[in-house]
Amino acid sequence: MFEIISPLFLSLIVGGTLIGIIFGAIPGMTATMAVAICLPLTYSLGLENGLALLLGLYVGGISGGLVPAILLGIPGTPSSITTTFDGYPMAQRGEGEKALRIGVVSSLIGGLISLLALFLFAPALADFAIKFSYVEKFLIILFALTVMAALSSDMLLGIFSGFLGIFISLIGAYDVERGGNGALRLVPPGTEYWLESGFSLLPVLIGVFGLAAILEEAENGVGLTRTASSLKIGKGSGFSFSVFRGQIGNLIRSSSIGTFVGILPGVGGSAASILAYSNAKTFSKTPERFGKGEPAGIIASESGNNGLTGGALVPLLSLGIPGDSTTALLIGAFTLQGIQVGPLFIGDHPDTWNAMILAMVISNIAMFAMMYFAIRYFALVVTIPKHVLYPIILMMCVIGAYTINYGVMFDVWTLLIFGLFGWLATKIRLEIAPFIIGFILGPSAEIYFVKSLESFGDLTIFFTKSWIAMVLWGLVLASLVGSITMARKRKAQVDLQTSRGTAP
Amino acid sequence: MGELTRISIDFETSHLVFPAIIAIGLGLLGLAIAIRDRRQILAAGAYWRDVFGKADKPRFFGTIGLTLIYFVLMEPVGRLWPNTGLGFLICSVPYVLLTGLLFMRERTPAAALPVAVTAVVAPAFVWWLFTYPFFLTLP
Repeated sequence: MFEIISPLFLSLIVGGTLIGIIFGAIPGMTATMAVAICLPLTYSLGLENGLALLLGLYVGGISGGLVPAILLGIPGTPSSITTTFDGYPMAQRGEGEKALRIGVVSSLIGGLISLLALFLFAPALADFAIKFSYVEKFLIILFALTVMAALSSDMLLGIFSGFLGIFISLIGAYDVERGGNGALRLVPPGTEYWLESGFSLLPVLIGVFGLAAILEEAENGVGLTRTASSLKIGKGSGFSFSVFRGQIGNLIRSSSIGTFVGILPGVGGSAASILAYSNAKTFSKTPERFGKGEPAGIIASESGNNGLTGGALVPLLSLGIPGDSTTALLIGAFTLQGIQVGPLFIGDHPDTWNAMILAMVISNIAMFAMMYFAIRYFALVVTIPKHVLYPIILMMCVIGAYTINYGVMFDVWTLLIFGLFGWLATKIRLEIAPFIIGFILGPSAEIYFVKSLESFGDLTIFFTKSWIAMVLWGLVLASLVGSITMARKRKAQVDLQTSRGTAP
Repeated sequence: MGELTRISIDFETSHLVFPAIIAIGLGLLGLAIAIRDRRQILAAGAYWRDVFGKADKPRFFGTIGLTLIYFVLMEPVGRLWPNTGLGFLICSVPYVLLTGLLFMRERTPAAALPVAVTAVVAPAFVWWLFTYPFFLTLP
């Protein structure tokens, strides 16, 4: 297992983690964006070394978000939104460094607990999933899409976004290699040359997560860069591990929540930290202190969002279904090396599996070492001028899109099309996560669905094939019913607040 | 019931089955959204006026415009020196410089200097990295 460790492997993890932290620490830039623009670098690195870089970026990116969340009250990444609730008030009263270190330690523990879950659950789930036929595989995808839609802020728009992702993924030829007839569909006349293979996955991802984010920043005027003097890091650390006394339950619960949310397909880090935070508040003996600079709030938020990292890899490596947007990009790294992730992956590629686990462990330790001991310097990352960084990111997006298929200019135009689409989607409240997962899983869903019908010739097979199919239908229905119930409760709450507000 | 659920798929037209189902699903979902959100849809004009009213139009449209020009020019310029990646390098330098200046809030010579240095160093480094160690062709 340890023979994979080489100076290059270690340097890529440490370098990736460092770049990830920087991306996470700059508001407007995310771990997903870091992975998107660094994907083409993995071409020449081979799978294990490439994954080392990308997993470092992932862990670093998720962790770096706590820096601006605490010092500026602005989440560096969506997953650190709840860190602002208690981190920023602590910084305001001069305990910035203490809050940062609490966040870093919690991130490490969250990351390691989720990694343990990945190590234990992914092989077991993969072993179970090997038995799945096309029917169950189709239902798993259906379940993934309904879970995502159910947890979207608007279920109807969430489902619509997932369907749209699938629809766009079907553009081009019905893949012969996977049993299709090779005929073109959904291709406008005159575009057959470019769209014969449809839109490539990676330019779409880089457009939606990279270019779209920069366009949104441009729309908002590219905010002023912070000066070092505006950061309230505080004099001296004031941190001691005694802060964690009585917080072990909070740490384990929040990390487990993060891991569980990660395992749910397509649900992002913000849901992990929000759930962990609200649970910590519910179970706390002093819930009134939350939101006013309570260390337990930072512990819950940061262990929750880092708990996501290992959890999100469970469905990816056992079922081939990404757990969040960033792991969706990791599919790109596998595609580049010609490897398909799914139930057979761990058994067929034990070296890659071991390398991934090792990379995650080392990356978490590197993240802790760098951020714990040099947090004052990382805090200065938020002062890097955006007008210097953003043009480089735009250029890297172009490189990523162009080199992904060894030099196809249409992929660069795809990047622009989906960059504009990503910007537009946020304006019309479409959900990006279901769209992307739909886009990634659409071609597989088609093969599983059509081949099931070709083999059995009866629609009832989707319900009667096995007990697993029935359980999956139960889960699909439960996710939809749960979502409708939650939406009604939210609406009732809003109505109640409105009527109270307008009452004479 | 058994007859109703039985389906026979012709291999020759099998490429249309799933897209048709998804298209119907999209249509129905779109209709449901249109009915539910009809008020917001009818007020879309005012919404977009508000979006563009608040937007930093020079930076937003400037980014799109510069990116379009960058993409359009990259390949023709690259054809002048085939398989060297110089189209990317030559077009990236002004692109990085101009977008950097566009994004800058207070344009002073001192603030512009790092942008200018980045505009030369970053594309040159990336071009070298992809052309030599990685052996990947750029436009």
